[in-house]
Amino acid sequence: MREGALSWPRVRRATGGAKPSTPAARFWRVFRRNRFAAVSLWVLAATSVLGPLVVRVLVLDPDAISPDELAPPSAKHWMGSDYLGRDVFARVLHGVNTSLLVGAAVAVTATAIGLVLGTLAGYRGGWIDHVIMRVADALLIIPTFFLVLSIAFVFGGTLTSVIVLLGVTLWPPIARIVRAEVLTLKEEAFVLSARALGVSDTNLMFKEILPNTLPPGIAMIALLASAAILTEASLSFLGVGDPNVVSLGQMLTNGLEYATTAWWVPAFPGAAIFLLVLLLNVLGDGLNVALSPRMWGR
Amino acid sequence: MYRYVAARVGQSLILILAVVTLSFVFIRLAPGDPVTYLYGTQHLSAEVLKSIKHEWGLDQPLWTQYVAYVDNLRRGNLGYSQINRQPVGDMLWAIIPNTLLLMAPSILIAAALGIMLGVAASRRVNGWSDYGVAAFSLVGYSTPPFWLGIIFIVIFASRLRWLPTQGMYTLGASHVGVASVVDLLKHMVLPTAVLTWWYLAAFTRLTRASMLEESGKPYLMTARMKGVREGRVFYRHALRNAAKPVLTMLGLQLGTMLAGAVMTEVVFAWPGMGRLLFTAIIQHDYPVVLGVFILVGVAVVVTNLAVDLLYVVFDPRIRYA
Repeated sequence: MREGALSWPRVRRATGGAKPSTPAARFWRVFRRNRFAAVSLWVLAATSVLGPLVVRVLVLDPDAISPDELAPPSAKHWMGSDYLGRDVFARVLHGVNTSLLVGAAVAVTATAIGLVLGTLAGYRGGWIDHVIMRVADALLIIPTFFLVLSIAFVFGGTLTSVIVLLGVTLWPPIARIVRAEVLTLKEEAFVLSARALGVSDTNLMFKEILPNTLPPGIAMIALLASAAILTEASLSFLGVGDPNVVSLGQMLTNGLEYATTAWWVPAFPGAAIFLLVLLLNVLGDGLNVALSPRMWGR
Repeated sequence: MYRYVAARVGQSLILILAVVTLSFVFIRLAPGDPVTYLYGTQHLSAEVLKSIKHEWGLDQPLWTQYVAYVDNLRRGNLGYSQINRQPVGDMLWAIIPNTLLLMAPSILIAAALGIMLGVAASRRVNGWSDYGVAAFSLVGYSTPPFWLGIIFIVIFASRLRWLPTQGMYTLGASHVGVASVVDLLKHMVLPTAVLTWWYLAAFTRLTRASMLEESGKPYLMTARMKGVREGRVFYRHALRNAAKPVLTMLGLQLGTMLAGAVMTEVVFAWPGMGRLLFTAIIQHDYPVVLGVFILVGVAVVVTNLAVDLLYVVFDPRIRYA
């Protein structure tokens, strides 16, 4: 949030050298209090960095075939091997990388679309507002999963197309929150004074107002990523994912028939999806609390 | 009020038309035209091809085809599956009861339990019961239904050998009467448990959030001052008002709930919509996949409309001018 004329040196002098309270510091202070959310953040960050690194450094080939077919978990195959003798651990790691990529890309796309459209709708009002919000309403009601499934099925689901489709369908909640925020922000003194100074509408919208809508927008980002990961996994589970990418959902379908004979084939990829989604949901709850203005006074 | 109802009905019709139009666009853009799709490898003369196209109306302008498509849908004709040699509508109607058979008990159990858990959690905010319920709903919400299904199969069917895991009835067994119902119920246990687990988390989360929203309101204080018992304050006074956002959210979540049912059916080879969709995707049976999309889309839109209209009837405060 804007601090107006209170720049940091001045605040520090006024508060007798007490710890400065930048928005980021305040966010961090509240966020850290939720241990689970903080741990989730670190685990997810570590996985995002280490996952691709481990795969490269150890040259883990997800498609390497070995003679031990359906071998149970052992020192050689940590998570066992599948019906082609492929190492389940290597495949799960690749799948996790794919899932994280999908989650991050979709969350960023949807948030960006939501921020821009929400700002536009809230600031411009009139028919632009009307059109954007009716489309948002429609996307909230029309079942996204089946819509994306149909499109990916008809046009063939590459990883990129699934990411774009999810990004284009998951923005409405962000746009709604941002729009509501903009409606109050545009009457604030800093916007009015900027306008009085002759700042153009575009600059007002995207340089003055939009940055202030970031906290509620960002609060949703982890939940969007978790929704995206679960949806992508479900799509590839049903067979409309990208066949050229190792995906956890696909591993689950292929492992389905081994559920009773070689449980490790479907169990580990499923556990990976569960953990990713759980970590993101915990993180999302934490972000929501820490980014809600109500918490900042505490 | 009538204006509100008319506006909501109008909106819903537009949404349904949007779903229908999308599916028309998809089926037109699907790879290969229906004729080559059907007669694929046969070498037909241009003359024959032309007459087939004419017979199916494929030489008509797109607009005419679109009108015919919408008109067909209006009459309940969802298209024809060349691969299964059956009208899509017949295929769907035959299996929808099976899907409902899984979803209805799951929703009922999850709603009853979820509301109780949600209210219990909201009564002692930040108490241990609140944390327990929050943890459960977070875990439950994050469990992909297909994975939970596999875990159940491994534990209850493969290790303990308690319950069947595939299909609706034991293959080859010709149970009649009560025995057949028992057989069906046994097959229902695991998929219903998976769906209930997943729905329960959603109900609990929503109820808790909605109850917290209500908990600070003055009418609760009034009720307490009148000497109303604490349990009654929560279950009667607060819950009644908290139920509304829960219902709204559930209307919006119906699509997600159906998606969960689809996954669960695939895992347990339950002969419902999910199983049909899964097979259709493998067979590249476009009319069936889009038929499911249309059906789910219309069902979700109509449910949301119904939920909104119910408020008008039951909430005396709502008198949309």
